Amino acid sequence: MSRVRVFLTAVLVLAALLVFAQQEVLPGIARNEVLIIEDPSGRSTNPGRFNLWGGGVSSWSTGLQQLCLGTLWYIDPDEGIEGEPWINLLAAEPPIYNDDYTKMTVRLRKGIYWSDGVPFTADDVVFTVETLKAHPEMTWGAYMQVNVEKVYKTDDYTVVFELKKPNGRFHTIFTVRWAACYIMPKHIFEKVDDVVAFDFNPPVGTGPYVLKSYDPNGYWFLWELRSDWERSDLGVVYGVKPGAKYVLYKGIASPEKKVMDQMAHELDIIHDLPPESAIALYKSNPYCVTWFDGWPWAHPDPTLPSIIMNHEQYPYNMKEVRWALTLAIDIVQVALQAYNGCATISPIHIPPTGLYPKWYFDKIEPWLKEFTIKVGNKEFKPYDPEIPVKIANAVKYAFGYDVPQDPNEIKKMVGYGWWKYAPDVAEELLKSVGFTKKGGKWYRPDGKPWKIHILCEAATRSVMTRAAVAIAEQWRKFGIDADIEAVEPSMLWQRMNYGQDPDTVYWAWCIETWGGHPDLFWFLESWHSEYYRPTGQTVVAKNPMRYKSEKIDKVIEDLRKTDFFKEIDKIIELGLEYVKVCVEDMPIIPVFSYNVFTVCDGYYWTGYPTAKNPYTNPVPNWGNTRFMFIKIQPTGRK
Amino acid sequence: MRAFFKYAVTRFLICLLVIFIGVTITFVIPRLIPGANPAEVVIRRLQMAGTYLPPESVEKMKEALLKLYGLEGSLFQQYLRFWKEFLRGNLGPSFASFPTPVIKLIATSLPWTVGLLALTTVVSWLSGTILGGIAGFRKRGLFMKILEIFANAVRPIPYYILALLLLILFAYVLRLLPTGGAYQIGLSPSLSWKYISSVIKHGLLPALSLIILGIGGWFLNMRNLVSAVLQEDFVDFAFLMKLDESVIFRFYTMKAALPPQLTGLALQLGMIFNGTIITEIVFNYPGLGTLIYTAIMQSDYNLVMGVTLFSIVAVAFATFLIDISLPLIDPRVQYSGSSV
Repeated sequence: MSRVRVFLTAVLVLAALLVFAQQEVLPGIARNEVLIIEDPSGRSTNPGRFNLWGGGVSSWSTGLQQLCLGTLWYIDPDEGIEGEPWINLLAAEPPIYNDDYTKMTVRLRKGIYWSDGVPFTADDVVFTVETLKAHPEMTWGAYMQVNVEKVYKTDDYTVVFELKKPNGRFHTIFTVRWAACYIMPKHIFEKVDDVVAFDFNPPVGTGPYVLKSYDPNGYWFLWELRSDWERSDLGVVYGVKPGAKYVLYKGIASPEKKVMDQMAHELDIIHDLPPESAIALYKSNPYCVTWFDGWPWAHPDPTLPSIIMNHEQYPYNMKEVRWALTLAIDIVQVALQAYNGCATISPIHIPPTGLYPKWYFDKIEPWLKEFTIKVGNKEFKPYDPEIPVKIANAVKYAFGYDVPQDPNEIKKMVGYGWWKYAPDVAEELLKSVGFTKKGGKWYRPDGKPWKIHILCEAATRSVMTRAAVAIAEQWRKFGIDADIEAVEPSMLWQRMNYGQDPDTVYWAWCIETWGGHPDLFWFLESWHSEYYRPTGQTVVAKNPMRYKSEKIDKVIEDLRKTDFFKEIDKIIELGLEYVKVCVEDMPIIPVFSYNVFTVCDGYYWTGYPTAKNPYTNPVPNWGNTRFMFIKIQPTGRK
Repeated sequence: MRAFFKYAVTRFLICLLVIFIGVTITFVIPRLIPGANPAEVVIRRLQMAGTYLPPESVEKMKEALLKLYGLEGSLFQQYLRFWKEFLRGNLGPSFASFPTPVIKLIATSLPWTVGLLALTTVVSWLSGTILGGIAGFRKRGLFMKILEIFANAVRPIPYYILALLLLILFAYVLRLLPTGGAYQIGLSPSLSWKYISSVIKHGLLPALSLIILGIGGWFLNMRNLVSAVLQEDFVDFAFLMKLDESVIFRFYTMKAALPPQLTGLALQLGMIFNGTIITEIVFNYPGLGTLIYTAIMQSDYNLVMGVTLFSIVAVAFATFLIDISLPLIDPRVQYSGSSV
């Protein structure tokens, strides 16, 4: 009798499951009308807040900065939608500066309307700046307070900024590289008593989509194409209708789930995956679209993960030590272990991405080939241009991937050369500054065993942890007592910014570039000694290595004087000067760009950006992906 | 009765002391972490995400944010301010989600966590305890042997793997259940059957995973407890008295074996306020686990404090309730001061 009961219970449970069994993505909306995109921020803890200016928005990448809010200009990290990375979105043209860069005039586009039907005008820009200026606690408020003396309109479509001091880079605050200061709808915010506390829900933007609904628990945000999309910023600039009627941003934390969702064609764009997952997906899903159609698959971000050493911590104040650590790394092994050989390496302090190979790498390579470091009485040429080919061969041998034969093709995929693996030279360099080697182990000049902890990210970006393990392994082989400590990203950045950890180097990044413009001022400005903060005080921006160089100060000061638009050659020349100083000093060890395994599904949608059609960065949390939506069109599959 | 009253008052005071110490520790620890300054964390988050914050503006923004968050003054002054606000029922704003009140964020996640975990904890406990009791009492039954093997086999499986296996099987292979979320995307919370059935449907897989894993532990514990009770003289005496087997099972063995299980249940129910972060990650399920994790990562002191507070109070009160109720269930347990 009891067995019969068990059987009946089992049948009932199955029947109940079958009753519930029905798969649909959105009730009443056809799957082929919805573009489903992963939001890498995962769950948004405060999903009902959209006030990016007021702060407290837990995720910017819910579609808010990609589909809704807009600003004056964008610089694409790749080639740009019409082959020009500089994009005038809400502005009709690039900014016009006066001769001494104390005044910036902006001409705005006509015909753009906010999503609630109100025209976008100069009043919105003036209001945004004045509001921010009055509130330094708001996201771009302090910047406006420091820089803007006065802002006013001369007509409905012309805004003039009077600056407190000369600043030829002022426009960059309104130029998207991932994000920028977006423009507020004046007609909404002017009615609000407390602009910081205001949630701005529903958001009103100049972009082509409006928020249709969102999960109060923070896992998804659904956007609908504006019925008047022609009057949106994208509509006015390009006149092309975005292909997707709806766009759904979903936070998914588990990589396994992302893979399974895409295999089931329920997720169109995955932000990032560990290499093995991405490659497995590429091999199993015939509709899979990746940046490179095959090895090395991933998109190189204009961000440069590096080994960051605090120069105030002995022995990293010595150039010889920093160079010895560089030459004790076999980059081929690191690329293989960290990225399955899919890394885009960089020997110089610039990411090898976007248009930088043309602007910097091609120009500096002859110099790199001749560059020497002094080792005892000899000169040693550390640059090895053959590394990409070595990586390709190793990849073919280790993983069996198809790799091109042409070295120039390989160069486009995994970068130019890197530094030679030369432990013998590293040994000489160390001995020259008093290090000793006993029983295969290195001892510092003060007699203590040389220990290095590599502080790196855990879990969130597995390639970063794996690279740290690979580097520690290389250094252990060389005789240094090296290990890794993997922590959550916020902990890593916090500790790196204070720089107080003894015997520690940090595996993170402090070099990020536009990708589509050669100006390095964006990250380099904070390397100037006027912003230097000693260990124990948090760094002001991007100088966690606490590097001071009169030559770099000079480069920054000269960059300040250049015109962002008219003096491209001069900017590149100064950039090359910066590279040379950094190669000499090796303030941090550049390793590779952060390659993102963004994987798209071509089942329902086509037109994703790829290396063959690099009209923008496919990494979907960037504000720059706005331009993807007019290129992505339906395949017609039901 | 007097002994009970004295015992209950003492235990209640201890309970309040535990809450005070727990809250104080939770207040102090995050503030002692170097660099865990919410203003700096906000700025760092913006920079990590790629937002351009020029050097000159960074320090100005930091000062302005500290003022905005009310984090001025010494640690002690902040501590006094905290108690003053707390006793008024104000947990303050979340720093990472400023100016949203902490209580609002908790209120969004709490029902999902409590709904899922209270249900699965009680179901696992009831099933595990009853089946474990039967298995300990009737060792030779085939069904019980199979259950025992199942419980032993499932228990060591890491939860993440088990949850993924269930997800793959039911959501991707059989396509019987949704892949994640608390309810169908696009639905708005309401009292309609469409919404309620969607919530049930979406909760089935997370619940199943928690029950399968939870049941094994309770089952094995209870089986061992009952086996031990069966060795007691009073049970032998009951058998010699030729009492009905079901009476011996219910009143001599189960009742005697129950107190440790009840203590476990009370503590487990107290712990549900911590959430289950892995369940939330695998099934995209909203809850307190991801909320507190994010709060810790963002040095959101007030939010950490708010979520932890629920847990501290729940565990302290659960312990208090168990302390005063156990003697009512098991006559062998006495209130201190009362005669045997």
